[in-house]
Amino acid sequence: MLQANMQLDAKGLACPMPVVKTKKAMTDLAEGQVLEVLATDKGSKADLAAWASSVGHQYIGTVEDEDILYHYIRKGNNEPEVEKAFEQTVALKDLDTRGGMILDVREAAEYAFGHINEAKSIPMGELESRLEELDKNEEIYVICRTGKRSDLAAQLLAKNGFTKVFNVLPGMNEWNGILTKEI
Amino acid sequence: MSNKVAIIAANGGMFDAYKVFNIATAAAASEKEVQIFFTFEGLNLIHKQAIHALEMPAGKEHFAEGFKKANVPSIPELVEMAQELGVKFIACQMTMDVMGLAKEDFVDGIEVGGAVTFLEYAKDAAPTLTF
Repeated sequence: MLQANMQLDAKGLACPMPVVKTKKAMTDLAEGQVLEVLATDKGSKADLAAWASSVGHQYIGTVEDEDILYHYIRKGNNEPEVEKAFEQTVALKDLDTRGGMILDVREAAEYAFGHINEAKSIPMGELESRLEELDKNEEIYVICRTGKRSDLAAQLLAKNGFTKVFNVLPGMNEWNGILTKEI
Repeated sequence: MSNKVAIIAANGGMFDAYKVFNIATAAAASEKEVQIFFTFEGLNLIHKQAIHALEMPAGKEHFAEGFKKANVPSIPELVEMAQELGVKFIACQMTMDVMGLAKEDFVDGIEVGGAVTFLEYAKDAAPTLTF
């Protein structure tokens, strides 16, 4: 339904199978990748959200369509503690006073469950191959969930000749404004 | 926070089996260390023959259809999955002696131990559950 790195079909399975299968599928994903789980077990929504938080993954959300639940989970909630290296930053609370464009580098599913209106989505992993979609003359405000992926994205843009780039700190996890959803 | 879950399985019916193995596999899937201590009728749940003939409580036999409809995994399947996820099974030595059972009467991969074996494991487990 939404873009994900891998899909797991757990339709027709009863508790605890959706969780057990999800755990197994997760081992085949790399950190930061998104798993889509299809399930019909109504309890799987609460179960997978609780499971993800208990083992350290990010539960992104669930879409329901015709008795099928589509769950989205991103592997490895705990992003590595790295020193943020990109120096041009903007505070999240000041973002609405700035012009230019907002570039959201989270995964497509994270974006779909809530983003700032008019933010453009290019997941971090696709950024390098989609640079031509961006305008070097425009100010670009890069945002992710916590500020870490956006830090790397801002560095990547700078390396490719973009100068009007700012990393937004913190990220969407502290955004209290209006969220636009694509689901 | 403890990363250990300790379960005592002391009853040997079909419903008891689901309570024990559902919680055990869910806990193991959540990266908990899990041990189950099987004692008295609980030994049915891992006995090579009894595991295929677990009984519904009297008067509740009609639930068999519900289990089928809900596509609930069979108990032997859940046992295999639990072991695959690293759940440790301990059969109670004393009960085995009383009932004249040997380690070979049970599914592969179990251990045999006494009450103290389990207590030592359970002393810093949270939660400890009894079924």
